[in-house]
Amino acid sequence: MRASLNWLKEYVDIDLTPVELADVLTMAGLEVESVIKIEEDLSHVVVGKVLSIKSHPNADKLSLCQVSIGDGTFPVVCGARNMKVGDKVPLALEGALLPNSMKIRKAGIRGEPSEGMMCSEEELGIGEDASGIMILEDDLVLGMDIVSALNLEDHVFDLNITPNRPDCLSIAGLAREVAAVTGKALKIPSIEVREEDGRVHDLTSVDVRDPELCPRYSARLISDVAIGPAPFWIRRRLESVGVRPICNVVDVTNYVLMAFGQPLHAFDFDLLSEKRIVVKRAKDGDTFATLDGLERTLQGDALMICDGEKPVAIGGIMGGLNSEVSVTTSNVLIESAYFDPSNIRKTSKKLGLQTEASYRFERGVDPEGVINALNITTRMIADLCDGKVAQGIIDQYPSPFLPKEIPLSIRRTNKILGTSLEKERVGRYLKAIELDNKNLDRDKLIVRVPPLRVDLNREIDLIEEVARLNGYDNIPTTTPLARVTSGRRSSAWVAEDKVKDVLISLGYYEVVNYSFISPKLITSLGVDVNHPFHKFIRIKNPLSEEQSIMRTTLIPGLLRTMKTNVYNKNSDLKLFEIGTVFFPNEEDKLPIEKRMLSALVTGLRYVEAWNFSGDEIDYYDIKGSLENLFRALDIRGCNFSCAGDIPYLHPGKSSTIMIGDTQIGFVGEVHSEVLENHDLSKTAHIFEIDFDLLVKHAFSEKKINLLSKYPPIYRDMALIVKEDVQSIDIYDAIIGCNNSLVKEILVFDVYEGEPIASGEKSLAYRIKYQSFKRTLTDQEVNKAHKKLVSKVLEDMGARIR
Amino acid sequence: MKEELEKLFGEALGNLKVAGEESQVTQVRTEFLGRKGKITALLRGLANVSPEQRPIVGRLANEIKLSLEEKIRESLASIQARKRKERLLHEKLDITLPGRRVPTGRKHPISEVCNEVIEIFLGLGFQISEGPEIESDYYNFEALNIPKDHPARDMHDTFYISDEILLRTHTSPVQIRLMEKQEPPIQIIAPGKVFRCDSDVSHTPMFHQVEGLMVGDNITFGDLKGILTIFLHEMFGAKTKVRFRPSFFPFTEPSAEVDIACVMCQGNGCRVCSSSGWMEILGAGMVDPEVFRIVGYNPNEVVGFAFGLGIERIAMLKYGISDIRLFFENDMRFLGQF
Ligand SMILES: [Zn+2]
Repeated sequence: MRASLNWLKEYVDIDLTPVELADVLTMAGLEVESVIKIEEDLSHVVVGKVLSIKSHPNADKLSLCQVSIGDGTFPVVCGARNMKVGDKVPLALEGALLPNSMKIRKAGIRGEPSEGMMCSEEELGIGEDASGIMILEDDLVLGMDIVSALNLEDHVFDLNITPNRPDCLSIAGLAREVAAVTGKALKIPSIEVREEDGRVHDLTSVDVRDPELCPRYSARLISDVAIGPAPFWIRRRLESVGVRPICNVVDVTNYVLMAFGQPLHAFDFDLLSEKRIVVKRAKDGDTFATLDGLERTLQGDALMICDGEKPVAIGGIMGGLNSEVSVTTSNVLIESAYFDPSNIRKTSKKLGLQTEASYRFERGVDPEGVINALNITTRMIADLCDGKVAQGIIDQYPSPFLPKEIPLSIRRTNKILGTSLEKERVGRYLKAIELDNKNLDRDKLIVRVPPLRVDLNREIDLIEEVARLNGYDNIPTTTPLARVTSGRRSSAWVAEDKVKDVLISLGYYEVVNYSFISPKLITSLGVDVNHPFHKFIRIKNPLSEEQSIMRTTLIPGLLRTMKTNVYNKNSDLKLFEIGTVFFPNEEDKLPIEKRMLSALVTGLRYVEAWNFSGDEIDYYDIKGSLENLFRALDIRGCNFSCAGDIPYLHPGKSSTIMIGDTQIGFVGEVHSEVLENHDLSKTAHIFEIDFDLLVKHAFSEKKINLLSKYPPIYRDMALIVKEDVQSIDIYDAIIGCNNSLVKEILVFDVYEGEPIASGEKSLAYRIKYQSFKRTLTDQEVNKAHKKLVSKVLEDMGARIR
Repeated sequence: MKEELEKLFGEALGNLKVAGEESQVTQVRTEFLGRKGKITALLRGLANVSPEQRPIVGRLANEIKLSLEEKIRESLASIQARKRKERLLHEKLDITLPGRRVPTGRKHPISEVCNEVIEIFLGLGFQISEGPEIESDYYNFEALNIPKDHPARDMHDTFYISDEILLRTHTSPVQIRLMEKQEPPIQIIAPGKVFRCDSDVSHTPMFHQVEGLMVGDNITFGDLKGILTIFLHEMFGAKTKVRFRPSFFPFTEPSAEVDIACVMCQGNGCRVCSSSGWMEILGAGMVDPEVFRIVGYNPNEVVGFAFGLGIERIAMLKYGISDIRLFFENDMRFLGQF
């Protein structure tokens, strides 16, 4: 909300600077987001008075005027005709530079001297009216500079009023707070309405059919109003708080809305059928044209203001075109009402229509302030539009709101705040914000809260007011008594830290991608509609299609990150992410959330340099990272088996990752088609692992083996096997020999090509033999090794190279 | 014979002095001490010396032999040392060439800051608690005293999955889930992702929060100030000015917004802090009795406080980042700087 300092000063004395006032408001819970200084550079423009007007001898359309500024009179040649002798006008004298860049100089116009210029609002840059010279209020002092004469200098506060404080959504409401915290008196003027002939009850009637949704409806009637622009000061004020001026009657209702927080509406009385008001619910599907020119479809719970036959406004939200005040209007009915907040909010949400009125009604206006606002509005319209006010007020208010009486325990106040405030002091604080209170017993006060304060309903609400008025800064800063707790992190957190540390030490960068992605990215993986990745959850109101589904895999995000970086000429990447993926669940249940660990590597293993060769990363790099990871997490029994049918991976260069019988993820080269779908030309390798399963198998207990005191003996064996034999098969065959002396098996060479025949390959193993009991002799190791080799040859159909 | 011995000794020392190579030194040994060496030869004539003189000459001969051996060893050692020195001087590396550094990665700045926050609170006796990222309307709003059709819902631009299921807009639902299944005392923090449909330089539709909750029977607003002041001093330095000002959250009362003196201008006022000298850093308050009632606690017996802070916000202040979207673009030129 915006508030003008000049306007505020009308209701409360302020001797603080704008910055100090902003600080006071902020520390009282009314956060000032910014203070904007409004200034007009209009030096050499002063208040003048037209002494005479003669026609210009050489030009029909111009006139010669004498304009006085009190201690001097200037001849002015002028093209406008709206001023008359005796009018006060803004006079720009020599040296003035107007906002439209016009420089004022003494000059001759068609042979007549002209020493200044009378200006329109538009020429002064302070309003839109360009139709003629601006005519000033008669009581302004001649010669006064225009900026102070029109009070053009101001400060506007941009406030962030929290939803609990609708009472502060007005200048007077803010003034009340300023008065409370600065100790100054509030100066809300009392208003008297001059009523003339005709009784309102004879001329019209109001029938509230739904008092639950409309607990109070009041109205007055003003006849013979002259519609035109509102006076400059009203328009200026409205503009300062961001409201566009329309015409005098509407501007007054908006002025009172901004000043006192009560939304009002003016109907063209002659457009109301049967000259009466009926307040009732809409019929489902009714349509209605609102003031903004849109045709709106209503639902049955919208509250409508109707005349004898049709709706004329959506109650508390917006008026209708069919009863709008216009230049032809001469009689107006002014509505001031209180509507049920939650119903206003519902209707406003359904219509997607939020107005200054609905914003206040849905938060709650002061039901007891309805009549005062109506009277101020009426009086201002009568004064400014020459209207005649009918006698009496219509006020449908069957069950008045009563002040709430809330007990407040001082002991509890101090217990919650950690203070030691005395009862008298608490009572004083509350009185400062117009909350009457008296002693209930030794400990308690009974506090009377006017309906205006919709946020104060319980003891705790009053405790907050006490804290606020005492100042949060004045509440002692303490620390709670310590309790001894076990502060260990859960194993998931420890595992996450460890995983990150391992991957980072292996050169991986952590990335964080959005949890929502485009459904196209799932399709880009080449998976069919039955694949689990396709069972995604849609967001009902996404920001864009690009972010419209919850991710079912982290891979698309990593591919996107790869693309971003390749585009920026970073093509050697090692990335990982730990994040949640989402899958649908049974109806009425929350979706299934799984935490995944995924990684992507692409480009060179190491950037080529004097000390590194520039080799491309391959499958064994990413597999090695995983092996390191499992080692760090003490995960045993992990193996990689052929994947073959994972659509987004290379069929020959991919595997599933198993721990025992449980599949925990996959690893492999990204399928070239997927890369093409992402406009990527370089190959990449990825893995994705179910992080929760990983954690489940992590940190298995360790038993440390004794160290052998006896030396090991190594023996090599180079085999020639069919090319589709996997190294794991030979490994298994060696283990299958059940020789307890075999302590380590190392593949030290893999070779295909000359002189090995095509269709075959050579694998070479180094086997470590060692005993815990004695030093092995060459002889016995030779014997054991020979036996082992012949068994492996037999099992694998291999031969010695 | 004595004189002859001394003369040979002198001659041998002279030879050693000019010996520059190991071979020349060993040559001295052979020449004087070898089986056919000059000293050895001379000593063969020891038998001819008078019996009274014999022990004296014998001792002298021994001394000379030992001394010469010693000199030979010294000479060898010094020649070897000189040669090693010469060799090492030739083995000089260009030590300014870059090392064989296996490049390491980095944590994402959000993880980094999040961990820092967590560490501070773990140190204060808090434990970590977590909850789902997709939540029900009940846990995200209603149980936190934000009924449907309440204007406070305007404070959260919510992504919906269905009428009742949504992407959590804050980590506060974790409070409710925990209190539902655990009796006080409670002292937890809940880090995690949250979502709001908003996107510009200072908003991303996803960001990270850490929620805190402390519930017991003797916890005060003063304690809330104390804990958060300790946290902010740990995070931003012990001299950081902190202020608490009234605000509104439906699930806390009294509620507070916590500011620190602007890190850009040290509180003098600049563009970043809209001239106020302060920067909003977190929201907090005493848990509203209504929330206690909803989770089945007795609001007359338990008190507590809750707070919530944005990780990106802290990271932006710490590292001087002005565009929040950078965190989620994962551009290596950005990530590589941390
Ligand atoms: Zn600043």
